[in-house]
Amino acid sequence: MSNATSARPKPFLQPEYCKGCLRCIEACPRDCITPGDEINPLTGLRPVALHLDNCNGCSLCIQACPEPYGLRRQAARPCVGDDFELEDPAKLFGERQVANHSAGDVPDTFVPLPACDPMILKGTYAAAIGALLAGCRHVFGYPITPSTEGAELMAKILPKLNGSFVQAVSEVAAVNMMYGAGGAGVPCLTFTSSPGFSLMLEGISYMIGAEVPGVFINIMRGGPGLGNIGPEQADIKLACRGLGHGNTHALVLAPSTPQEMLELTREAFELSFLYRNPVVILGDGYLGQMTGIVKLPATLRRPGLPAWAVWGDRAHRHNLICSIALEETDLEQRNRHLNIKYAEISAHEQRSDLYRCEDAEMLVVACNTPARMAKGAVEAARAHGVKAGLFRPITLWPFPIDALLPVLPTVRQLIVVEASPGQLEDEMRLALSHAGIAPPPIDHVRRFGGLLPQQSEILAKILNYQEVLS
Amino acid sequence: MSTETSTAPASPAVNLPLSKKTLTSDHPTWCPGCGDFAILNVYYRVLEKLQYPQESIVTFAGIGCSSRMPYFVNSHGGHYIHGRSLPFAAAISLGRPDVHVFNFGGDGDGFSIGGNHLTHAARKNTNMTYVIMDNSVYGLTKKQTSPTSPIGFKSKTDPTGAMDRPINPMRTLLNSGATFVARSHAAQIGHMTEMMERAARHNGFSVVEILSECVEFYDGAFDAAVPRKGGAFQTIELRKNDGTSEDTLRHDPTDEVAAFKLAGLEWPGKFGVFFEVKRPTKNELEAGLVARAREKTKNASDLDLLKGAFARMR
Ligand SMILES: Cc1ncc(C[n+]2csc(CCOP(=O)(O)OP(=O)(O)O)c2C)c(N)n1
Ligand code: SF4
Ligand code: SF4
Ligand code: SF4
Ligand SMILES: [Mg+2]
Repeated sequence: MSNATSARPKPFLQPEYCKGCLRCIEACPRDCITPGDEINPLTGLRPVALHLDNCNGCSLCIQACPEPYGLRRQAARPCVGDDFELEDPAKLFGERQVANHSAGDVPDTFVPLPACDPMILKGTYAAAIGALLAGCRHVFGYPITPSTEGAELMAKILPKLNGSFVQAVSEVAAVNMMYGAGGAGVPCLTFTSSPGFSLMLEGISYMIGAEVPGVFINIMRGGPGLGNIGPEQADIKLACRGLGHGNTHALVLAPSTPQEMLELTREAFELSFLYRNPVVILGDGYLGQMTGIVKLPATLRRPGLPAWAVWGDRAHRHNLICSIALEETDLEQRNRHLNIKYAEISAHEQRSDLYRCEDAEMLVVACNTPARMAKGAVEAARAHGVKAGLFRPITLWPFPIDALLPVLPTVRQLIVVEASPGQLEDEMRLALSHAGIAPPPIDHVRRFGGLLPQQSEILAKILNYQEVLS
Repeated sequence: MSTETSTAPASPAVNLPLSKKTLTSDHPTWCPGCGDFAILNVYYRVLEKLQYPQESIVTFAGIGCSSRMPYFVNSHGGHYIHGRSLPFAAAISLGRPDVHVFNFGGDGDGFSIGGNHLTHAARKNTNMTYVIMDNSVYGLTKKQTSPTSPIGFKSKTDPTGAMDRPINPMRTLLNSGATFVARSHAAQIGHMTEMMERAARHNGFSVVEILSECVEFYDGAFDAAVPRKGGAFQTIELRKNDGTSEDTLRHDPTDEVAAFKLAGLEWPGKFGVFFEVKRPTKNELEAGLVARAREKTKNASDLDLLKGAFARMR
């Protein structure tokens, strides 16, 4: 019946390469192809079945098949049977060029800075200068009070330093610019404030997934929603527990003076590259605007180039940065890898500042600007003869539990002072709980809505407990 | 899209005629001399003319100096997220097709962070009036570059002068699919009133861009269109369809190509109605969809309809 000749070979199909689109069935004028009724165990798809008795080798089905290795001429079949194998691209095209080249890490270098007189700077400016000294030359942002001045200073200075500030169309655009620049291996920064930080969370999750460094300065303002432009600390939960979707964490640094704004921003870049992860700096609106004496460090960093950077040259050609991992086992592996990284950060990067904690019975816990009021209250309480101390977390994630635990034995009352309805306290309680410690009683002084806890309120609380407990 | 269960609040027995007095709420907080005052006054005037029931007026806005509008108007309203007022306002319009939605905002709010929302509210022809108060600068955040700031404009984020090509608002709005597009100037009370009133009476997505000077951060931005300051305020003469030969020289607002040509004129360009066509509104299309679907149900109860749907899912 069949009149197919060797010049017009019949088609053959390796079932694994058929996606069951059925285009061949439409194409065949002799009804040789029917929809398959069995699922192929390798692909989970339903390949068509060929009945070639009537086939005349017209090859219309082969032209219709969109799969490169789908329906093919029998003559093209390398060998018959189950041992069919795809041609190895390396044999067809020679060795992959990119495999020959691999970049090494170009390390950072440090240049001494000539000594200069201390400066009087507001917090946002101090952070900007910290970033410049860390070698950051790429800043992206969208204006938002009370953070914009940092970006504005960058816009003025960066062109002279061969860098650039780009005003994005929104915070959503800004965070993706961070991803782009960070992926290229260059230190980059954004200044924002609470509503803008909310918009950046999606991108931060992608950056963490793809292991892209970048420094986010969030000068927190009153919320929720539009709130106001007064100082608050109510983004602690976002930064510590809510960096977008998925298994995400980032180092969260909480400066409390302009000097620390400079130092921690500078260090944030090194940490961000060390761990290939974003770093978040949380300041409050008051700290952003407050001026203080700032001393410059002794060195200036010239950033190197990490081997993983997507740096657009031959040596970096094989680099790929992305957060997608379709294979479940791959994604589980990536999460395990991230978890190891988070554990390393937790083990090595906890930071805190302890003031008069050696014998403290009343231990105040506070960060950012409220820590300054708390310090004043502790000093005043000491003047009253009360053994008060201040525990100031500098990293909020990881919470510096290792430094807190040794202090606790003398402590009779913990007082958490914050401009949020308990977000710092929650971090502390969680850390205590993970450490398996039953803490001393915990009370708090909380203000919000753009107001900060006052020294007098904190002192009153301390003195009240002193009276109750003695 | 209204549901069976929602109950409308009782209207007051007597409606006072709308006047500036009944429409004013808070005292405006803009800087003395800000163009936005004039736009607010024109809005009062237009509402006085239209005499909608006061409880059916919605004054809505995003974030910016211009977006403070709702505070100053005694109507329903809201002051929402920067750049997101349009989806919110669209939902009001679709949820309550009987109310009159006026949305206000700045050039940053509408063309930068809210740009994509503008395109989609417009292409869907959602019934509302959108007034863009364009000062070519970010006012509220104190002088950063906006998408309409001209090249060379010195702002705090472009201290040596803006370098990115600004958008052309009229071209952007025409391209968005808005069915009424007009342009005016805050120094021209009569013209603004006419434009805003026509926009309000238009059924569909109507938008008016009003050049409104920010005296604080972009003084003199629109002087080229202020005759008092040596500029020229040139208006668009609309076609009268009177059959005369000079009429062919007048602008046909249904002619999109002609509208784009007008939009391309050299600064400060012309003012008036660039484009006006009739196209089914999203509100009408949604209502039609619901009506057709309801017709098939033959007034069965919600419970029976849901039971039927669930049965088919088993
Ligand atoms: C998500 C978010 N980002 C940034 C801001 C800060 N912000 C408030 S108004 C504004 C721009 C104002 O410019 P425009 O829309 O032109 O209004 P104008 O003040 O000029 O009338 C910005 C960036 C914000 N409120 N929310
Ligand atoms: S070669 Fe032609 S006749 Fe044979 S199966 Fe394909 S389409 Fe049908
Ligand atoms: S056209 Fe190719 S892929 Fe599609 S069903 Fe036929 S053989 Fe399979
Ligand atoms: S800053 Fe500019 S736009 Fe804002 S109120 Fe003042 S003059 Fe008007
Ligand atoms: Mg503006």
